[in-house]
Amino acid sequence: MTSLRLHPVAWVSWLLAILIGVTTTRNPLYLGLILLWLAAVMVTARLVLGQHFTRPPLSPWRWGSVMILSTALFNALNVHVGTHSLLHLPAWLPLFGGPITLEALLYGALNGLVLLALLLAFGVVNGVLPVWALVGLIPRAYYPVAVVVAIAVTFAPVTVRRLQQIQEAQAIRGHQVRGLRCWLPLLLPLLTGGLEHAFQLAEAMMARGFASQAAVVYTLPTQVMVLLGLVGVLGGLLVQMLTVRTLLSMGLLVGGSAVLIAALWGAGRSQPHTRYRPAPWRGRDWLVLCGALLVIVCFLLPVPGVDRVSLFYYPYPTLTLPAFAIPLGLATWGLLMPVLALLLDGLPKPPAPRPNERPTEMVEARR
Amino acid sequence: MITFDQVTYCYPTDTATPTIPVLHKLNLHFHAGEFTLLVGPSGAGKSTLLRLLNGLVPHFSGGTLTGKLRVNGLDPVLATPRVMSRHVGFVFQDPEAQFVMERVEEEIAFALENAATPAQAMRLRVEETLDLLDLAALRQRPIATLSGGERQRVAIAAALALRPTILVLDEPTSQLDPQSAEEVLQALVRLNQDHGLTVVLAEHRLERVLPFVDRVVYLPGKGGAPISGTPRDVLAAIDLGPPLVQLAKALGWHPLPLTVKEGLSFNRQIVASLADHPVPPAVVTQGKPPLLQARNLEVAYGAQRILHGVNLALAPGEIVALLGRNGAGKSTLLKSLVSLVRVARGAVTIHGRTTQGLSVAEICRQVAYLPQDPNALLFADTVREELLITLRNHGLHPALGVVETLLTQLGLADKAECYPRDLSVGERQRVALAAILVTKPAVILLDEPTRGLDYLAKVQLMALLKMWRMEGKAMLLVSHDVELVAALADRVLLMSQGEIIADGPPADLLRASPLFAAQIARLFPHTSWLTVEDVLANVGRGKEEAV
Repeated sequence: MTSLRLHPVAWVSWLLAILIGVTTTRNPLYLGLILLWLAAVMVTARLVLGQHFTRPPLSPWRWGSVMILSTALFNALNVHVGTHSLLHLPAWLPLFGGPITLEALLYGALNGLVLLALLLAFGVVNGVLPVWALVGLIPRAYYPVAVVVAIAVTFAPVTVRRLQQIQEAQAIRGHQVRGLRCWLPLLLPLLTGGLEHAFQLAEAMMARGFASQAAVVYTLPTQVMVLLGLVGVLGGLLVQMLTVRTLLSMGLLVGGSAVLIAALWGAGRSQPHTRYRPAPWRGRDWLVLCGALLVIVCFLLPVPGVDRVSLFYYPYPTLTLPAFAIPLGLATWGLLMPVLALLLDGLPKPPAPRPNERPTEMVEARR
Repeated sequence: MITFDQVTYCYPTDTATPTIPVLHKLNLHFHAGEFTLLVGPSGAGKSTLLRLLNGLVPHFSGGTLTGKLRVNGLDPVLATPRVMSRHVGFVFQDPEAQFVMERVEEEIAFALENAATPAQAMRLRVEETLDLLDLAALRQRPIATLSGGERQRVAIAAALALRPTILVLDEPTSQLDPQSAEEVLQALVRLNQDHGLTVVLAEHRLERVLPFVDRVVYLPGKGGAPISGTPRDVLAAIDLGPPLVQLAKALGWHPLPLTVKEGLSFNRQIVASLADHPVPPAVVTQGKPPLLQARNLEVAYGAQRILHGVNLALAPGEIVALLGRNGAGKSTLLKSLVSLVRVARGAVTIHGRTTQGLSVAEICRQVAYLPQDPNALLFADTVREELLITLRNHGLHPALGVVETLLTQLGLADKAECYPRDLSVGERQRVALAAILVTKPAVILLDEPTRGLDYLAKVQLMALLKMWRMEGKAMLLVSHDVELVAALADRVLLMSQGEIIADGPPADLLRASPLFAAQIARLFPHTSWLTVEDVLANVGRGKEEAV
């Protein structure tokens, strides 16, 4: 039984949809909706996963409020545009001098909202996906890369522990860190130790049949395709940034991604490696993926009947009520799909007393 | 199965001078399904021999190899380690340095993923391997959270994932405590006896494996011819051996007993002849003021209390051994004595003066502390420089001859200009000792000093400790090595769950505990004997009085 409730690809598509959603709009209504769905997903994930949810080291809510406050203040102090003046700072203050407007304050807060959404989204994905699941997302064509990343993940805590040991060992020899040069007795054993560790690991991997040179065959067409795909995606982004959104940029983005995925998939097929227990792709993963695609399509591409002008919101020179297109608002519901998918799996059952194993076996058999 | 025919191997060197071969015209034969134990001093070529079996030597190490070697009918040099990985599973010494993945299951699957095993077959293979090593309960655990013994079991499982017919282990228990070592060795015995796996094991802890081993191969080192045969034959011919075997050889017992059970049939006559000669209790010198004293020590990590209410006193010229299970707080106690961990309550005094407010450096000028891994200490270019650096750290000037005298004492005089990390484990440890002893501290704290040492290095260390006892130094020794404690300690402290639960002479404390009873104590349960010397001295006296 795997501890994953949803396929990592589903989660990543969800994350991508949020990234696209919050970066294409400054409309507080859409942002508010997205944040609401995000919060719902986070709460559900915590409830359903319980202990398996890795809590972020800092509370995203506390961080987010700090961020909203600071971006609002920063914007208000720097941008002195707007009709609703709250107070007037003396003009001799460099940068800050001038009227402090409600418009600037609000627009700053909106940017803070975007940052909060990003923080929450990464918090959720970090919480639900362990590192190994993310490593598993590295395309099969880059198997050696995946192995190196996996080693790095296990190497880091070992190195930290070793540094602590060395620090202690040098302290008992009367070593005191006073300046840059004093780091030498700590770094040298760490580096030589790390090198010895690397050699031992290389030997161990060789003893278990790992040989990278025999594995990968990067054919020329694959490499050209990967390059083309990347150029397409980057070009699309560039066009989108420099000019107004056009069909050209969309075409480049979509086409480039397609070529890239096809190239990697093709190269992965020629890889002589298999994967242990690939995460299963189930119905609920389709749900999440489709929700994410809905948001991406509606927010990025011209869809008939969807008024994408309302995504654009600008409070200067004077505050206006943001426009709201119902189809777009409905589309944001796509981000709520993980809640549905997680609830489909059910809330964690309380640990039932297990006097004998038979009944569960029978249930299993009936399934 | 495995045949060495006139195999000679030299490690690569950059000089043109001819080097001494590690293995010289080696002839050996291992049979299928046998459990072979490889013994010999460090540097005798045990690791080299084992690495020849799967082609790591010479593929990984370079060097020149001559002669004929066949493993499962294959030549490992031609077949390459990649192919040999399907015939030979290999487990290394350090449980930390052989893992690629984060979790147990993935680690086992790693070799299978590499070999492009189909997903369905791989799933089954991983399940089987988990059961083989009894790891099913740990399958989802991150390897970093496992104990040393569990890690080595995972390493064995990972090595067996490709279903090799030969399992090779290079001192797999040298970094483990006795319980973990026991766990690993039992797993090996089961793999050999129940599943017919051919096992080749290099190991220092003879007493645990001897009863299960079919054959012992002794490599004398320096290119000498190996001695190979049944455990009894080989042990009779070499000096190495657990206390039981040494005693049996000294008293001429035949056939050589390998277990305490076998030894018990010989001991009756001795015990009977000594029945009315009660042994006088050992004399304990008391009364000198303690050099180091700890009162009511308390240490906590967060809410977890590691030490509570620990009282301790070390008198000059006394070796005190601290025994206890893993995680009992032994290492923390040593660290708290030199203020490496924050002491929540209680006080430590050295020469009657409190250490409160002193820096670690100031304390360590009077108290030497040898951590578990001496490698963490060493970084200088030469051995001599290591000693000078410590002196410089403390702002002391090297007094004439201090460094030379210490190096001579520790048997390092001819290595003074060597790079410390190139030395053997035992030598490296003595360099670390020199680096902490150059300030002439009166108290020495040692954390598992015999870990990873071979027989010879252990004997040298024991001689050093005895010399320092004569000089009046106070020593506290954390060790799992019961035989070492039996031979050296004046007093034994038993620790459990952060408390010292017993404090007394070794003759009392090293008998009853299943974990900490010396082999000789188990052989003569109604005496106070702990070492071979004890028995021989008393048997000699008993005979004289009988005459």
